[in-house]
Amino acid sequence: MLKKEQNDYVTQTGPGTPMGNLFRCYWIPALLAEELPENDCPPVRVKLLSERLLAVRDSEGRLGLIDEFCAHRGVSLWFGRNEECGIRCPYHGWKFDVTGQCVEVPSEPAESGYANKIKLKSYPLIEKGGVLWTYMGDPAQQPPEPEFEFCSVPLNQTFTTKRLQENNWLQGMEGGIDSSHVSWLHRGDLSNDPLFKGSAGNKYNMSDLSPVFEVVENDGGLLIGARRNAEDDQYYWRITPWVMPTYTGVPPRGDHPIHGHFWIPIDDHNCWAWSYDYHPTRPLTDAEVSAMRDGKGIHVKYVPGTYIPLANKTNDYLMNREAQKAGRTFSGVEGIGMQDASLQESMGPICDRTKENLVGTDNGVIMARHRLMRAAKALAEKGTIPPGVNPEHHKVRQAALLLKRDVNFKDGAKEALIAKKGVRQTSV
Amino acid sequence: MLSESARMSSAQEAAYRIQYPNSKQRAAKIIALDKTSARIVDEVSRLPWHGAAFFASLSFAPKGSPGDGKDESLQAWLSDLAGRTMELVAEVEASDFVVVLTAAGEDARAISIIADACKLHNKSLVGLVVPREGASDDAVNASLNYLRPFTRMLVVANGVDYVEAMLRALRA
Repeated sequence: MLKKEQNDYVTQTGPGTPMGNLFRCYWIPALLAEELPENDCPPVRVKLLSERLLAVRDSEGRLGLIDEFCAHRGVSLWFGRNEECGIRCPYHGWKFDVTGQCVEVPSEPAESGYANKIKLKSYPLIEKGGVLWTYMGDPAQQPPEPEFEFCSVPLNQTFTTKRLQENNWLQGMEGGIDSSHVSWLHRGDLSNDPLFKGSAGNKYNMSDLSPVFEVVENDGGLLIGARRNAEDDQYYWRITPWVMPTYTGVPPRGDHPIHGHFWIPIDDHNCWAWSYDYHPTRPLTDAEVSAMRDGKGIHVKYVPGTYIPLANKTNDYLMNREAQKAGRTFSGVEGIGMQDASLQESMGPICDRTKENLVGTDNGVIMARHRLMRAAKALAEKGTIPPGVNPEHHKVRQAALLLKRDVNFKDGAKEALIAKKGVRQTSV
Repeated sequence: MLSESARMSSAQEAAYRIQYPNSKQRAAKIIALDKTSARIVDEVSRLPWHGAAFFASLSFAPKGSPGDGKDESLQAWLSDLAGRTMELVAEVEASDFVVVLTAAGEDARAISIIADACKLHNKSLVGLVVPREGASDDAVNASLNYLRPFTRMLVVANGVDYVEAMLRALRA
């Protein structure tokens, strides 16, 4: 349960809000690289953290994220012509480069220097791992580039998608660290989904529906361990890392690619659910990539030409009561991604946490909220750089393993929880 | 025409959610397992709560003490912060959930009898390891190892401010 003012504090990410300021300390995924596929390609409208922006790739391949609207009369530059190293407003011909600097005002003499005095707000945009990342904070505080493993391995070892999710970012993120829902909501998919099935660990998930949890703070966020009983005086541990503010890793299954999410606020009522899959030591197979493109695993099928899930709120998520009754899906919605999204969207645009009734096993969620609020407060009051900004905090890896019952997961899985180049994931 | 899901998940429809309470007050019992955590419990207990009861120590009953006729292995006494003594099993029975606190590396053996009482009455037991000045990782590990077999949820917090946050979140 949160008080209303706490719920507002932790869910609002617009300019000037405490949580918005926190998000603006990090590099965050803005677009897929495929959205700006070539030089001088059409610009893309982007809304992030309640700011309307335009992503541009210019004639020389430079990337930029600028205020969407022309400084002259407020026209959307999405209608602009992307030509000769700048985006030109079609209304009166004002032209801006990828830094937002106005480089031409046709109605004024070039010698007047008028254009030099016009500059749109802009943010850096960099490509890493097939993702275009932006940093929307104080330029003087810009951190080093992100070093999450999924965006650091060769491109043939990683696959990332995004989908529109029509609710506040926190609802999604909290789902990502809430391991206890997996044995219920996704139970039908562990044995059927090509990106999950066949791993030895699945039997522990299905044979023990009451996992026991441990939550441990670490430098970048949290480690959330869920343990289930296993043979020979062992526990089967599934360890989920959360890196502040919004990166989560799903513990792996067998040699399947590793996956996880970011939930990036579009505004306070919508977010992008980013889903990554990668393998630390080998290229993804054609079958794996094909399954991901087909919406298996944590990915979804799309409305063609969009990043809107094919099963969405406008078609009642293609609810199949027959499949629900027969147990093929637990909720009647197909696919892990939309099983999560459908329920999280049903909470409303911003979940009213004043009415929830949490239990002890929700401590991962409780701790994550607490750390977010603590970090936002420390940033506001003391300028403290929050956890998760340092790229060293990104080098964490999810793990699934068997440990003797008297071994602490943080110790027993110490090596497994570190992302090391060329070292396979630890999985059962 | 909008689907039912689209209409019902809108901000406009959220305004029509029923505003009646959906839960009753719960009885939380918060028990310190050692002197360091007792000081934290003492401090937290001074804040306003909804029926939470805080206990600073646990003592075991000598033979022939009140409660005769019950399982002697569960005869223990809780002391609240005002110095009053309550029977452990009765307090657990009257609770909805129990939270135990231990400072890293401190003696946490008392949890076993609390866990037995929780098991007897099917109550959820949460363990919280709080920091202690100068405590090593080994001390934290020792606490975890001791609490692990008995708790449904085990948390290692870096700051004592988490104690209040967690109890508020659980409507204690």
